[in-house]
Amino acid sequence: MTDGQDGKKDDDMPDFSDVKSGASSTAPGAEVFQIYEVKSGDSLSRIAKSFYGNGNAWKTIFDANTDVLKDPNKIFPGQKLKIPPKR
Amino acid sequence: MKKLIAITIALPAIAILACRKSEPPPPTPAAVPAPVTTLPAPVSVSGVALGTTLGPDKRVTAATEAFGAKDTIYASVETAGTGHARLRARWSFVKGDKTAKVDETTIEFDSAGPAVNEFHIAKPSGWPKGDYKLEVFLGDAENPAATRSFKVG
Repeated sequence: MTDGQDGKKDDDMPDFSDVKSGASSTAPGAEVFQIYEVKSGDSLSRIAKSFYGNGNAWKTIFDANTDVLKDPNKIFPGQKLKIPPKR
Repeated sequence: MKKLIAITIALPAIAILACRKSEPPPPTPAAVPAPVTTLPAPVSVSGVALGTTLGPDKRVTAATEAFGAKDTIYASVETAGTGHARLRARWSFVKGDKTAKVDETTIEFDSAGPAVNEFHIAKPSGWPKGDYKLEVFLGDAENPAATRSFKVG
């Protein structure tokens, strides 16, 4: 699936779903993560399955977003979640 | 005789008084300079370079803006300043006036001075040929602090 900047699928554009990414810094204690914008129908386990290949890893995402999530079953379209790298 | 004595006493006294009047006023104490307080400069992006390999210092070893389909693409982003920093790299594919997000990764850190940060993307199935761009954002800014365009061909 290819998402445009607005988050909508654009069939006219290439598929970048298999892109692997990473980052690091010379700054001590740097934290690396991706940002995922919640879409309608998403759940944490579905997002975890998408990023980590394992829906049971949902707690990794929940733990990284306790500043915006109070209940793992309540996420809303448009919310931007930090996705820590796969460990 | 009394007059002469009076004049003899009075003249030096007048001379002394006259001299005193012409003395400059005592200098006023110099004003104590206000302590110089230099506010720490906030974190800013001081340089961005793209390449296919990184050195141990996280800088690209040879900067380029042309890549092959199987390349891992590295961006070395140098920052300066101190304070909490959130550096976001957004990679996009550009086709005409349309863009598709390729990846978006964030590094968050407490900066104590100059730092070198690297972002990288790879696509095992190969990059589609075309134009791409990298935008680097600081914090929640809507406008990128730096932008680089590159090609895969």
